[in-house]
Amino acid sequence: MTWLAIVLSGFFTFLIRFVPLSGIMPKKLYPNIKSSLQYIPLVVLTPIIFNGLSIYENNIIFISENLKLYSAIIAIFVAIVFNNVLITITVGMLSFLLMSNFLNI
Amino acid sequence: MNKWIIFRQGILEELPLQLGVFPFGIIYGIMAIESGLTPLQSFLMSSIIFGGASQIVFVQLVASSAPITITLTSITAINSRHFLYSLSMYDFLIKLKLKWRIILAYLLTDEAYAVSIRKFMKEPNNSLLHYHLLGTGLTLFTSWQTATLTGILLGGNLPQFLDLSFIIPLTFLAIIVPMINSISTLCAVLSSGLSSLYFKNLELSLWILLAGIVGLFVGFITRKLDKKV
Repeated sequence: MTWLAIVLSGFFTFLIRFVPLSGIMPKKLYPNIKSSLQYIPLVVLTPIIFNGLSIYENNIIFISENLKLYSAIIAIFVAIVFNNVLITITVGMLSFLLMSNFLNI
Repeated sequence: MNKWIIFRQGILEELPLQLGVFPFGIIYGIMAIESGLTPLQSFLMSSIIFGGASQIVFVQLVASSAPITITLTSITAINSRHFLYSLSMYDFLIKLKLKWRIILAYLLTDEAYAVSIRKFMKEPNNSLLHYHLLGTGLTLFTSWQTATLTGILLGGNLPQFLDLSFIIPLTFLAIIVPMINSISTLCAVLSSGLSSLYFKNLELSLWILLAGIVGLFVGFITRKLDKKV
């Protein structure tokens, strides 16, 4: 079953990338559909970010000692200022490593 | 400018991004093994799917024993943005032979697109642009396979102070923050993030899908506010 899931996931992923280049569909999408598609990466990736920051674990909201959350806030500021993936990841990771190794939380 | 120079340019421009991609690939490799996938499944998935975020979600869903329909829906939803990437490159690539379009569609991932589309926009009349995308795509492919293999071989043997689990949300954060450029995108992000916390205890990993639907709905209904600001 896992192999089937992997192969089908790969097939659908390729199809998503290839269909617009296949020449079988109209080049222009309806404006409503096109404007909705822009939200998809945001609304799919954001839940993974929130989950990864461990804000809510075992019915407990975890904020005051959450170093991942603090580092993420720093990274958000860096992303806004520099608009650069590499700088954001580097600063975010460094701040997390520094806080987790030098703060006694 | 000949095709090899453009191809090499694609490789060189893609290389700096590997600083973020490589640890991400290592994490995927480690997570895949820990979720119960075999080393062969973990490694080949990087070639068969070739999509970082969706592979991470795949192993999370496998770890939580989600049904295949949920897995496929989630993977398709996550990779749906590639449809837009492909659509935006239509004018540049549609005249190529079918084998070229198949290869480039396979290689069309976030980091390759982000680098190559700038070149495409800058030199729209250049007939050799596909070599640039081939360069960025192959660089990313090679790096991703190597990182995956490293993660599989390392397993849980990373130094304790390197808590790489944070790099997944951090990488996604670095990608999406610049995309928040209007009231509706901000509303979509906040609503999907907060609702994911609300839905988190649901079974079958439904929280990703439900939070995504909430975010999509909120983004759609608030898009009128963008025009007023």
